[in-house]
Amino acid sequence: MDEQTTSENPASADVSFTESTPVTGQGRMDAAWGSRDGDEAATAQVATNSASVGYVFEQVYRPWNGSLNPRWMRNWAILRHHVLGIFRKGHRPWGWPTKLFMVLVFIASLGDVALTLLSSLIGSPELHAMWGVNRDNLYGHVLGFFPRNVLYYPILAALLVGGMISEDRNHGTSALYFSRPISRFDYLMMKYISVAMIQAFVVLFTLMIYYFVEILAMGRGWAWIIDTFPLFLAAFIGGVMLIITYTSIGLGLSSVSRGKFFPGIGLVAIVLGTKTLAILVSNLFERDIMYLLSPYDCLAHVGQALIGTQTTYDQYSWTWSFASIVLMNAFFLYIMSSRVATMEVTRE
Amino acid sequence: MMPDFHQEGQPEVKEWVPEQEAPVILIENLSKTYGKIHALSGITLALSGGVTGILGMNGAGKSTLFKILMGKLKPSSGQVRLFGTNPWKNPAPYSRVGFVPEGEKMHDWMTAHDFISTFARLDGLTRDEAKLEADRVLDFVGLADVAHKQIGRFSKGMRQRTKIAHSLVNDPDLIILDEPLQGCDPLARTTIMNVIRELGRMGRTVIVSSHILSEIERITEQIVILHHGRLLALGNLHAIRERLDNIPHRIEIGTQAPKDLAKSVIDIQSVHGILFQSDSVLSVQTHNLGDFHNKLPQAIIDGGHTVTSIDNPDDDLESILGYLTSGSRL
Repeated sequence: MDEQTTSENPASADVSFTESTPVTGQGRMDAAWGSRDGDEAATAQVATNSASVGYVFEQVYRPWNGSLNPRWMRNWAILRHHVLGIFRKGHRPWGWPTKLFMVLVFIASLGDVALTLLSSLIGSPELHAMWGVNRDNLYGHVLGFFPRNVLYYPILAALLVGGMISEDRNHGTSALYFSRPISRFDYLMMKYISVAMIQAFVVLFTLMIYYFVEILAMGRGWAWIIDTFPLFLAAFIGGVMLIITYTSIGLGLSSVSRGKFFPGIGLVAIVLGTKTLAILVSNLFERDIMYLLSPYDCLAHVGQALIGTQTTYDQYSWTWSFASIVLMNAFFLYIMSSRVATMEVTRE
Repeated sequence: MMPDFHQEGQPEVKEWVPEQEAPVILIENLSKTYGKIHALSGITLALSGGVTGILGMNGAGKSTLFKILMGKLKPSSGQVRLFGTNPWKNPAPYSRVGFVPEGEKMHDWMTAHDFISTFARLDGLTRDEAKLEADRVLDFVGLADVAHKQIGRFSKGMRQRTKIAHSLVNDPDLIILDEPLQGCDPLARTTIMNVIRELGRMGRTVIVSSHILSEIERITEQIVILHHGRLLALGNLHAIRERLDNIPHRIEIGTQAPKDLAKSVIDIQSVHGILFQSDSVLSVQTHNLGDFHNKLPQAIIDGGHTVTSIDNPDDDLESILGYLTSGSRL
């Protein structure tokens, strides 16, 4: 820092104030500082400029000589951006309630795994009969109503799909996506797959753990595996249908919403509300046909038929339920695709 | 083909190929309506190369035009072609386009480097390429030293420069900047203007809109003027002013003796009128600016006048906008 001493001190001039004295800069300054004592040796400090002048104004553009990669690589970038956001910073931000709930559901979904291990450790055939791998328990792991399809999977799906499309607007992301060489179909499909992948981690991955823990803990041989693998496969297919259906409904609702509350609560309302309606109609009017409006009932019916357990609606063919699931998915996929295809980003 | 999950594979040749003969931007009879409101009406325009300023008052349709160019809005009628392709139907041209949106919304939770490399991968760069290119563009806009800081902690000017960097990461041939100077401090403005000029010098097509008209003048002389959704004027700033023949140009000459100078310049044929603006400024009106400027030095020398300044106050963008939109100076 350079120190410079003023050669002339304006404060040294004799200034007197009367009523008629005009208000000048000198007068105001004196009033503001209150005193001129000690001001006579006024000093000023001036910062030296040690920075290289002009550096910040220098822009030299170096062109990039590479070439851009094909469609799948762009799509993979979208997918990983969404999925990695669950685990790592610097990607799509998922709220802590979603992350926490996902962990809780994942742990809760492993309840039958823990009890299978326990039954193996203590050698309890009764406990194993109740919780070990069998036709009913494989069905129950994926499509059981309570608690999995009341407290776990629909709510997890609701949390995932809630802001999936609508939050892109809040973050300005849709404008950035649509200004890239990414078709709206790709944008939508990658979001769909990312939601489905996260659900699959909870629903299908835990099913696989359940099955393999049974093999390892109980020392199952090839004969048992050959006998039960079709059941496992049927439960797996049931889980895939469950994930697809919840994702289609949820993203369909998210695409027509600007917030994340409506899609989330809408999905839960559709899954549980239609189920409740079907129960009420069945009890009041003794007609079960309303179950065809319930995504969960239809999924459960098809799942029961695939795995071979006692069907809840055995007076109807499971193909009706399958047709209903296909129609529901088609309806919500149509809403989602038509909405995103014509979506105009006006507010960003 | 199996995906290369490590993103380290060799890039492939793009399938989409731009039309060689087509202009970078071709807009034909473009209209956009929101109910009864006409945001754009019958715009026809073709642009290729250099920096072009899009000017207009608030609500003129600048942002709507940009949103249509960037596929965010669908035209009500007419068509837009980027490199000969309709971007609403096929987003492939965006691989050669960089866009700086007007909005303030950004990914505040990300670092500038993460933000740019993430969206670079959406352009089709591999992971390693994206990181390298993010470094390149951040260095270009002067943010290399804060590349790993969160965008949420950036000043307005730094956020704008981050947006510009992100738009350049795919080395685009067309760069569209919507109000890039808005809210920036003088240092950031100078940096951004340097960036824009540099890109224009390199032959890239740069479209920039701004309300800060004097700064647009510092960036480019090629302008497009929109007003109430219509194309009002298009071309070189000074050429547009020249074509307003029915409105005389005004030249302000600073001198100690305006009356004496007036006697000398009144003899110049192209002088339309004279006004003594103050004791030291003579205001001359002419329909032929070039002719007057050619003859003025000789008149000054012959009369022995002392001239302290010569200014063309009508030749700025505010005045041109005013003339074009209301027939008088702003």
